[in-house]
Amino acid sequence: MSKSLPTPLEGVFRRVPGVRWRQQAERHLRVELSEAENLPALLALLKGEAGYRHLSAISCVDWPDADEFELVYHLDSYTTQVLISAHIRLPAAPGRYVSVSGLYRPAGFFERDIHEMFGVQFEGALDLRPFILTEWGGPPPMRKSFDTEGYVRDHYQWVDYGPEWLAELEKRGGGIVE
Amino acid sequence: MPDYPIYRDPPEQCRTPDAEERSLWGRTLERIADHCRARSLFVLHYCTGCGAIELPPSMTSRFDLERVGMQPMVTPRQADLLLITGYLSVKTLKRVILTYEQMQGPKYVMGFGSCTINGGMYWNSYATVKRLDQYLPVDMYIAGCMPRPEAIQQAFLQLMEKIDSGRAQNWKEYYRRYDHYLGEQQALFGEQFHTPTDVIGEARHYSLFGPETLGEHTAKLAKYDLYHPGQGAVDALEVKR
Ligand code: SF4
Repeated sequence: MSKSLPTPLEGVFRRVPGVRWRQQAERHLRVELSEAENLPALLALLKGEAGYRHLSAISCVDWPDADEFELVYHLDSYTTQVLISAHIRLPAAPGRYVSVSGLYRPAGFFERDIHEMFGVQFEGALDLRPFILTEWGGPPPMRKSFDTEGYVRDHYQWVDYGPEWLAELEKRGGGIVE
Repeated sequence: MPDYPIYRDPPEQCRTPDAEERSLWGRTLERIADHCRARSLFVLHYCTGCGAIELPPSMTSRFDLERVGMQPMVTPRQADLLLITGYLSVKTLKRVILTYEQMQGPKYVMGFGSCTINGGMYWNSYATVKRLDQYLPVDMYIAGCMPRPEAIQQAFLQLMEKIDSGRAQNWKEYYRRYDHYLGEQQALFGEQFHTPTDVIGEARHYSLFGPETLGEHTAKLAKYDLYHPGQGAVDALEVKR
């Protein structure tokens, strides 16, 4: 695995403060930013100077112990042909960040999705109305603190299933493993 | 005085059948109709789940559903049997209810796969509906994840048998107990949920008005104009804020 960066990336990383990068695979770089607010600048430089025209996805991770959300921006370039995953961390409260939809229009959908699933607010986002969970009234369901089974118990009913063969098995000490 | 006889009462040869006799006639005709219905089922498949992949083999040359008079149908208004082939998310259930209500009676619903019975492997998912029969009257379930074409074939034959013998009457329950079903739907979609279909009017039309057709849940419908269905449909699918 080579350790040298493609030339345009060298220049970009040097100009954004607090950037640490690690090579994950031959064509995959993991980039961490110590200051979350530097990310839009990094994206703008990547887009302008290294051909990163393609934002594949934004993903979100909930870290309940640290009380933080991690946002990961996956970018690809046809010039350098190296996938970049840029990681930032935000405090879970208030859980706010800026929208990058001005730079990458598809970000609008990813931000809407993350807003719905994790409750992160994106300032300047194109549209934060319910996206997939249009019937939803509960808390953001992808947060680790969300109790899925409790929600299911409160909102849905079950059919009890107790056939004879199962009763017989249970008599012999067997049965359904919970 | 004319010289021909005047009959004041109807002549004995043309007596009027009494109510019991009438209903006997009705029932006989219904049985004949059921016999025919069972042999020509048009199937609307609502392919929401993975189980739908077992339908093509059931329909094509090896198992050949057309042998038993079943055929896929493209619109709910012309279909007799609604197949729910797998898990239903809350969002799809809404569409399924709209679809079901557009079908004309007599209509049948078949739940296909474990997901429609108890949520299947999505038993602990917040977005997936667990029991289909809570929201719609179901005539038959096929267990299995997913059921093989042999099981599907078997279920269809059993359903035909059920229809033929006049036991597949669950669709009438939807009219007789509309308040109950609407209540369950409202519990899931919110108080303001209603569909553009005038189910209560249909219950009257089919003479299926029961003591539970109206109730506290249907009382909430009074404020909607059900005679302009276009608008109702938009309301029903409206995003909850
Ligand atoms: S029962 Fe199994 S095959 Fe059918 S929809 Fe559910 S998970 Fe898929």
